[in-house]
Amino acid sequence: MDGIIQSLGVIFSLSGIAVLLIGALLGMVIGALPGLGPSIGLSLLIPFTYTMSPELSMLLMISLYTSAEYGGSISAILLSTPGTAAAAATAIDGYAMAQKGKANEAISISLTASTVGGVLGGLALLLLAMPLASLALQFGPAGYFAVGLFGLTSVAALAGGSLVKGLLGAGLGLALATVGIDPIAGTPRFTFGQFELYEGVPFLAALIGLFAVSEAISLAEKQARKKPLGKTRVGHVFLSLGLWKETWRSMLSGSVIGTLLGILPGVGGNIACWVARDYARARDKNPEEYGKGAANGIAAPEASNNATVGGALVPLLALGVPGSPTTAIMMGALIMHGLHPGPQLFTEEPTLVYAILFGVIIASLVQYLVGSLFLPIMARTVLLPEGVIAAGIMAFAVLGAFAIRNLMFDVWLTLGFGLLGYVMKKLSFPVAPVILAMVLGYLIESNYRTALVSSRGDYMIFLTDPISVLFLILSLISIMVPIRRAWRARRAASHSAA
Amino acid sequence: MNARPSETTGPRRIAAFVRNAVAAVCLAAGAMALPQIAAAEFPEKPVTLVVWSGAGGTLDTYGRKLAELLEREGGWTVKVDNRPGGSGAVGLSQIVTQPADGYSILVLTGTLTFGIAQGLIPFKLEDLRLLRAMQSEPSSLAVAKDSPLQSVDDFVAYMKENPNGLKVGGHSSGGFHQYMLYQMMQQGGFESGWIPHDASGKVTLALLGDHIDAAMMTPSTGLSQVQSGDFRLLGVTTAERSPFLPDAPTFKEQGYDIEGAIWRGIAVKAGTPDDVVASIQTAIDKVTASEEWKTFQQEQFQDSPNWGEAEFTERTRKDLEAQAEFLKSAGFLQ
Repeated sequence: MDGIIQSLGVIFSLSGIAVLLIGALLGMVIGALPGLGPSIGLSLLIPFTYTMSPELSMLLMISLYTSAEYGGSISAILLSTPGTAAAAATAIDGYAMAQKGKANEAISISLTASTVGGVLGGLALLLLAMPLASLALQFGPAGYFAVGLFGLTSVAALAGGSLVKGLLGAGLGLALATVGIDPIAGTPRFTFGQFELYEGVPFLAALIGLFAVSEAISLAEKQARKKPLGKTRVGHVFLSLGLWKETWRSMLSGSVIGTLLGILPGVGGNIACWVARDYARARDKNPEEYGKGAANGIAAPEASNNATVGGALVPLLALGVPGSPTTAIMMGALIMHGLHPGPQLFTEEPTLVYAILFGVIIASLVQYLVGSLFLPIMARTVLLPEGVIAAGIMAFAVLGAFAIRNLMFDVWLTLGFGLLGYVMKKLSFPVAPVILAMVLGYLIESNYRTALVSSRGDYMIFLTDPISVLFLILSLISIMVPIRRAWRARRAASHSAA
Repeated sequence: MNARPSETTGPRRIAAFVRNAVAAVCLAAGAMALPQIAAAEFPEKPVTLVVWSGAGGTLDTYGRKLAELLEREGGWTVKVDNRPGGSGAVGLSQIVTQPADGYSILVLTGTLTFGIAQGLIPFKLEDLRLLRAMQSEPSSLAVAKDSPLQSVDDFVAYMKENPNGLKVGGHSSGGFHQYMLYQMMQQGGFESGWIPHDASGKVTLALLGDHIDAAMMTPSTGLSQVQSGDFRLLGVTTAERSPFLPDAPTFKEQGYDIEGAIWRGIAVKAGTPDDVVASIQTAIDKVTASEEWKTFQQEQFQDSPNWGEAEFTERTRKDLEAQAEFLKSAGFLQ
């Protein structure tokens, strides 16, 4: 109890509020820049946190983490250049909505949904950390494989017009995911002797290239044709009652999906956003609206990717194991202070633990506050001439690509992906399936093979592991629902024709 | 007499100007040369610590502490540069492409020899001068608390009766922990598979969730489980019991000649002059002698091997030979 009161004292002290505000501002900017996601943001921040108390340094990091998870969506909606991997799902409907002149609505939905997701994820962490951690322990390699496969079934929802094109994109992504050191045998594959490729094709290079660089090329092209800009009214970011009514269900389902997938190490926000979008689409009365600017197509992924923050902290606090690259950095910062995360921290450092637990919830609220002041200004970027936007995106894309590992190799790779993305857009190939399959490819392959190594080649492991069975069934449902819907529509059409 | 210099013209003025200019140049050159002669102290400019992994990990934590203490104890100006990628090859190539002047110092780990042996790091040990190993952590054989196994002998006896009977796993494929298991297999005369995990935290989760029966792991990765008793360490690969784990028996005291640790240390490019290396060693001595370093090592549960260049190089050379042998017989290399 003392811990709770003292932690609230820290949070609501002058310095507590100051670090939360600073973290939110920095996070939003870092998240909005392509390539500079929460983990790069935190690693830049680490040296500054050494001199702070552990509580304040954690508050600062959580606030930055939360807002950076959100900030990625700002550029995704306004410029179709998702700042973080988790925002790629938002880019699809968010950008489509902004192109219709409703940038303001799109931003309000994303900010509100992110806040709701962050708060719910934080509440889950506060109240259910231990049960959620034991849930995470149920996942063996077979279970992770099935989760990955389940994530992959959402490709159909991303394909837009043509399922074949979507599947081709996913195939490309899966192929790219095989580059790098073999997860089981330890030998390099398809690296052409380039040690820059030993860890695989850097996922961020593909993300920045396919989304940001290709968009910059398209914008530059539009500017050359002197096409007039769409009018955008920029005002407050408070969600209208109508939109609340329309989106609250997806916010809720997105938050639950984000929290649950967030607790699984190596899964997290990169996958949660697609699954949440897919779920919302499958439940929606108007699934054909998705990809054309559906409000729920923004709300669901946004809620889920912020809910993963709370989820990702579950294994760190309950088991002392970081659940994502970002939480691994936070663990490093705690260790720097001589503290070792894990359940014993609850008794040894209750103030710190509760500062983290409440910090997640309060950081989301601070994010809403900062966002509502800051976004109307940021949204004005869409009013800039397209040539200026194109140049800006290119500059930040190259910066982000270099920031991955400080290698020029990654910059050239990103530009290559940019050209690929441009060509794909010209041929109306969706780029999102490539990204999704790249994220999932490694997860699926490594866990599939690990499962078989541990069962010594017995495929029954996928059917005897309950988690695996559950997700294989979900995958099947996820594939069958659209097929059944299409079949019904065809039957209805043939009926009316007859 | 020389009322206004601007009025004096002609050859005399030019000669004076040339004379002054020459003098000025000589003086300037002298002034620049002076600190080099007088001080001859390394470093004269900021030193870069190239950490071959990303920010936030154990190696990075060590690198940043080292940087902080080199500044405070050694009076250096230090910049930390994370160069992750290519199993360390990216960081290593950063070092070998810089001049051999000691201004780029690589912060690296014992995975160096596995990387070279597996052909993942396209460099040789001879490309580096290994200056000091400053931290090390052992491997250990760990089981969950409800496991019936109580000692290394129990484990070996069970595996002898039931070849591949237990699922044994750990971090990475063909790396340090699998190498330690391989040594146990050699000495105990049993067969065991290996379930690799791509992050050490996942090993902890797998053992907690009963997805593996035993793990070869660094005790500190499952620290809170080891301390709470959820994990039992059957054997630790240190020569003597670690002060951090006084209750965990070593392999040696159970009659198995298995000893090994993953070190973290620093290296510079081969060809770096001896006097520069001596200055670096002096600064490192100041760091390791400081109270703050000792506290840091305690908090991090790190042993301090403190091998100097000769011992460090010799041990690493031997490790490389032995590991290449292991990789061949385990089927990782042809």
